[in-house]
Amino acid sequence: MQVHIVSFPAWFVQFMSLYVPVSRPECKRVDRIRRVPHHDATVKTRHAPAFIVLSLLLAAAVLLGVGIGAVQVSPASLIRFLLVKLGLSALPLPDERDITILLLLRLPRVVAAMLVGSSLATCGVVMQGLFRNPMASPEILGLSAGGSLGAVIAITAGFASGSLLAIPAFTIAGALLSAVCIYLLSSSRGTTSLLYIVIAGMAISSLFSGLTSALLLFSRQYQVSQFIFWTMGGLDGRSWQHILYSAPVLVPGMIALSFFARELNLFTLGEEEAFSLGMRVETAKRILLAIAAVVTGVAIAVSGPIGFVGLLVPHLLRFLVGPDHRALLPASALGGALFLVLCDLLGRALLPPFEIRVGIITAILGSPYLLSLIVRIQRRNAVGAR
Amino acid sequence: MSGEFLMARGLTWTVGKTTIVDNIDLAVERGELIGVIGPNGAGKTTLLRLLAGLLTPTAGEVFLDGGGIAGMESRGRARLVSIMTQDVSQVFPFTVMEILLMGRYPHLGRFQKEGAEDMERARRMLSYVGLTGMEDRGFSGLSGGERQLVLFAKALVQDTDLLLLDEPSSSLDIHHQDRIFSMAQELAREGRAVIASVHNLSVAAQYCSRLVLLEKGRIACSGRPEQVLKAEVLDRVYGIRTMVSPSLATGSLTVTVLPRDKGAAGTKVHLIGGAGSAVNLTRELYRLGCSLTGGIAHEYDSDEKLWRSLGIRCMTVGAFSRITDEQIREAAHFVEQADLTILCSFPIGQGNLGNLSLASLARRLVVLNPGPEEVPRSILSQEGRTLFAEVCAGARILEHDEILEELLTAMDHSAAR
Repeated sequence: MQVHIVSFPAWFVQFMSLYVPVSRPECKRVDRIRRVPHHDATVKTRHAPAFIVLSLLLAAAVLLGVGIGAVQVSPASLIRFLLVKLGLSALPLPDERDITILLLLRLPRVVAAMLVGSSLATCGVVMQGLFRNPMASPEILGLSAGGSLGAVIAITAGFASGSLLAIPAFTIAGALLSAVCIYLLSSSRGTTSLLYIVIAGMAISSLFSGLTSALLLFSRQYQVSQFIFWTMGGLDGRSWQHILYSAPVLVPGMIALSFFARELNLFTLGEEEAFSLGMRVETAKRILLAIAAVVTGVAIAVSGPIGFVGLLVPHLLRFLVGPDHRALLPASALGGALFLVLCDLLGRALLPPFEIRVGIITAILGSPYLLSLIVRIQRRNAVGAR
Repeated sequence: MSGEFLMARGLTWTVGKTTIVDNIDLAVERGELIGVIGPNGAGKTTLLRLLAGLLTPTAGEVFLDGGGIAGMESRGRARLVSIMTQDVSQVFPFTVMEILLMGRYPHLGRFQKEGAEDMERARRMLSYVGLTGMEDRGFSGLSGGERQLVLFAKALVQDTDLLLLDEPSSSLDIHHQDRIFSMAQELAREGRAVIASVHNLSVAAQYCSRLVLLEKGRIACSGRPEQVLKAEVLDRVYGIRTMVSPSLATGSLTVTVLPRDKGAAGTKVHLIGGAGSAVNLTRELYRLGCSLTGGIAHEYDSDEKLWRSLGIRCMTVGAFSRITDEQIREAAHFVEQADLTILCSFPIGQGNLGNLSLASLARRLVVLNPGPEEVPRSILSQEGRTLFAEVCAGARILEHDEILEELLTAMDHSAAR
């Protein structure tokens, strides 16, 4: 019988070795220093209330999200429908029309909002931690612009009308291209300034936006309007198909990113500190950027580039659960979902029967926050506590 | 491979055409506290970063515990060597405890949570550096010095046998500076090796068991503090004039920077002193750049010791012996050549009566009128009083400040010319 030896890439083997706990030799020194009495609250129990509150809020937002719209459907019908279908209730089924609206229109839209919101927020946390920069996000560092370029290529070349998977494939490619640019720029030595990486990202963003506009000049009118519609960032008309192709990428992607929570903590100390603590800095950076680019690419393929989620949500959640990425990543995933479901709801509820697209709502909420953030960082720099 | 704990061979780091660290060999054993000193830009930080493996040397190798550091598995390396860099910035609101626990990273598996043991160690190190009870404080809200101490504690939480400290006390007050170096000493005594880059030479001399003086990326001198801290070596490397003297109180070496030599243009002044009466004037005139001579003083007198340590030519006689006519004739050429001779206010007894005769030979004599804080001039014998009156008759009697003023004016005049 032949034994197959599978050879894994070296980085894979080295990273898997991290999963093996290290046997700890007896700490023999500096131990005569007296023990300090203490009371421990571990990470898990400390943040439990925050997670419970977030989950409850998200559940409530989902119920509201499926209920509110041009036709009001009471959230109770959804619950009743579920209970009956699960055989837990003997009540009659709700109205056929309501069920159709719920299952084929509202629910996929809310689920899409949750997926996109948590993906963008998670990627925001990763970018901010990776570049130890509170102003970073997938959109500010140019991943979204790269994705948009991919989308416009898919649309103008006619791939988008051929297959539903064309746009995500191209947005992933575009976001990865941006990620490569950011990686190369950030790996050049001696770049510690907070603004450097943001300005580099803005340069990449404008380069890709410029290319996008240039491509639009050569495309047909219907393609232009298709693209413009896509860029405005919206969740209307998202069907289960969108979720079917995106969820299998987004959910594992976010889980994979959360495996790197401790590495992200170390990144905030600076790359040199992280290295001297035994982290494989370059490998971790490449893996994190690649996963973040793929997740961002797929998320914006679903919804169009929605701004400010990746920037705003991590900050809000840091107030709630602190900066430790082991709590911050899952909390931001929940918070991002909550935020986008609420924004979408707001867009539908503000001026019925018109809908304000969700990207517009997040931009209106997010821009003042970005400005206040810049002012705060400026002020802190003036005091000299960079 | 030899038994040394840390071995660096032919270590070189080149950026473009500039060689920052140039062919450095270094061997360090456990238990040593090494101070890396040298002027700015000599390559201290780069050397530490090479030793930590943060930089890959252009040439040469670092061996730790017999193994090449470049080929080590990264977490294995991080259990052997930690470095405390000068970067104390943190933009996110981590607590002190969270920062400290990051030091456990190389000791934990990927999904292993920090256990009670890790928490305990972090807390213990925090109180070791003197910040007991600060674990829940925000790291970014601490002062620069406190942040340095926390990062020092983090390096201890990492629990490595080689500790590299880059300017560990750059923003610490003297209390915490003393603390951090005492701790480094203690850690070395426990069998670790500590290498610190230090700017303050006196601090380096006080705590380090061995010093490595870098000059333009090379080792200019290395060895025990008293072998390295020599005025002639420091003067060449730092391009200044220094004085190295053991502290009167502790005996550890103190390095003082002296004013630049103002050359022979300085006024020639001869000081007749004794009993420490010339100490203040000597220091002040030396700083002004006067070309000084001294005497006649008794050996082991504090005036004589100061003159010798500053390299001032002086005339001395044995302790408690009487100044003879012979010696006065010998000293006469000092006062004859001096632009100004100052008779300081020491007590005059039989032994140093000769100094009055010497004063009477001076070209221009100033008799110091002692202020309330200076050594009073008491004259024991009738003979002395007569002689002193004679000397005073041919001299001007000035106070300390008046003398300085006059010298400054004279120097201004000569500078104007």
